[in-house]
Amino acid sequence: MKTWDLIKTANRNLFRNKLRTALTVLAIFVGSFTLTMTNGVGDGMRDYVESQVKNIDGDRVAMVRKKIEQPDGPTNSAAVEYKETEEADENVIDPNSVLLSQAQMDSVVHDVPGIVGVTPRYGIRGEHISVEGSKKYKLELGMLSDGLVAKTEAGTSVNGPNQIVIPIGLARALDERIENLIGRTATIGYKLPDGSVKTAPLTISGVMTKGFMTNNNSFVSSDVAKTIFEDQSAQAGADKFLGFTIQMESNDPEKIAEIKKQLDAKGFEAETVADSRQRTYDAIGIFKTAMNLFAMVALLAASFGIINTLVIAVLERTKEIGLQKALGMGRGKIFTIFSLESVLIGFWGALLGAGAAIVTGLVANQVFVKFYARSFEGFSLFAFKPLSITAIMLLVCGIAFAAGVMPAIRASRLNPIESLRYE
Amino acid sequence: MLEAQNLSKTYTSDGVDYEALKDIDLDIKRGECVAIIGKSGSGKSTLMHLLACLDAPTDGSILVDGRDTSVFSERTKNSLRNEKFGFVFQQFFLNGRDTVFENVTLPMRIRGVSNAEITTETKAALTAVGLEDKINKKAKDLSGGEKQRVCIARALVGRPEVIFADEPTGNLDTNTGSAVEDLLFALNREQGITLVVVTHDSDLAARCHRVIEMKDGRIVADRRKEATAS
Repeated sequence: MKTWDLIKTANRNLFRNKLRTALTVLAIFVGSFTLTMTNGVGDGMRDYVESQVKNIDGDRVAMVRKKIEQPDGPTNSAAVEYKETEEADENVIDPNSVLLSQAQMDSVVHDVPGIVGVTPRYGIRGEHISVEGSKKYKLELGMLSDGLVAKTEAGTSVNGPNQIVIPIGLARALDERIENLIGRTATIGYKLPDGSVKTAPLTISGVMTKGFMTNNNSFVSSDVAKTIFEDQSAQAGADKFLGFTIQMESNDPEKIAEIKKQLDAKGFEAETVADSRQRTYDAIGIFKTAMNLFAMVALLAASFGIINTLVIAVLERTKEIGLQKALGMGRGKIFTIFSLESVLIGFWGALLGAGAAIVTGLVANQVFVKFYARSFEGFSLFAFKPLSITAIMLLVCGIAFAAGVMPAIRASRLNPIESLRYE
Repeated sequence: MLEAQNLSKTYTSDGVDYEALKDIDLDIKRGECVAIIGKSGSGKSTLMHLLACLDAPTDGSILVDGRDTSVFSERTKNSLRNEKFGFVFQQFFLNGRDTVFENVTLPMRIRGVSNAEITTETKAALTAVGLEDKINKKAKDLSGGEKQRVCIARALVGRPEVIFADEPTGNLDTNTGSAVEDLLFALNREQGITLVVVTHDSDLAARCHRVIEMKDGRIVADRRKEATAS
């Protein structure tokens, strides 16, 4: 029997009992609909987060900090053993502290190949910012480590001395047309330890794209940050830092992994931009998987519907199967016809379910945008990707096929003589 | 054409053996018209099933064209039945919701031949049974006699060498029954198709050239004669 004839036969068999087929397809439809929706929510969240975390980029940079030896267990309140040190030597790293000086950090990375620079992450605080003729606005200030690039709506990230890159909300307040701000001088103010505010002129290099990795921060380069940091920290021990940024020679993941491994052996952990994104994606991935599991339960229930439908069909068509076998149809073809029937049920259920889910999702997106657009700019509640939809369709057809295996084997094993006599 | 050697068939149910056929020897020549008669339980249907390779013997062997079928694979037996044998059953086994055309095509579809050939052969077979004008009718809308003629067309469509007919007139009244008989004997006479008819209808058996009578799993009589009435 030719493949096309097999498909036609299977399809015709399904249409013989329209109501039963429709009900079985409906069960699959519900499962497929749910799976497409849950998957769509997961993808929607991921898309949103992706657009948000991508406003800072840099593939040759990693944040490095000393690992703290902590006793295992859920609480951090357990006592940590104190280790004696010789205070005298500057370059000996204090095992009791996570703070390191630039010189100490230099010595740590000194013999790790592939690291071309180390900068401390200066903690700085801003006070206000203004441009000529504007009001003063509150300034949230941060340092953009060398090698990191902020994604901008206008202009560029900081790439020269005495520059600042500002968030879009602030930029709109300073000038309605944000392009006009590029290259202009902004005056920033920051508090000194004695409480007075010092001002400094900086050139606006660009206006950043919104994203929750940067919040409402404005950023300066490490040399500007260093100057501000030195002004702001008069107290002792201010030459030690919690975190450093390393600049690496290559963005080859294998080389980066090797650097991380070597730092790990020295008691330091390094996290690249990709790593921190991955952490966020993993969290969404877990959420998405959990949601999809619920949908899978619905599909599992529906697959019993397929088994039931086909078992009944085998009984109903026992004589017909007997005749087909008597006329020379092999077991394989009988199996194929029943399997095709169950895959077709799955296919129609998946197609209709996914289609209905996409329509529902797109409508829901419109409604959502109307009500929440301001708080979640660029957020679609549901995202439907061709690849995901294809994967869902294949999965549903696969589940349907698996459900059809048992009845199809029963049909293929029927004895022709007994089947022809079946009442 | 068909040969049975020391053929035995034993069914086992609930641990009890039941000998349906006991040491049968039989030789059916090409072009013969054979009736297998006997009471129910005599083993006549079992013998036909074994001859048609629908079932495997417990002992002995079936030779088709001199080749021992006991060594055949499932696949070879399937294509043997599909290509050399045609079947007509008492209960028709037509698919009522399908058209006459679709019902008749079944053996050709199983064989996997081209659509053009299927159409030509199916029309020829329906013409041979005089139902060419019912080709697009649903099978369920036909009368009993017409249904059995569709079955004969289905048995005929693959150009078989042997047609096995199991009580072909059992569900028909006398007139339509004899029309179906005429058709089967005509095929035997004009196309040389070997005919094996299982029946307990003595009138039908009387029209065959050779009558094999069975009782308790054994052949008790094997009579040959010249065809007189047909």
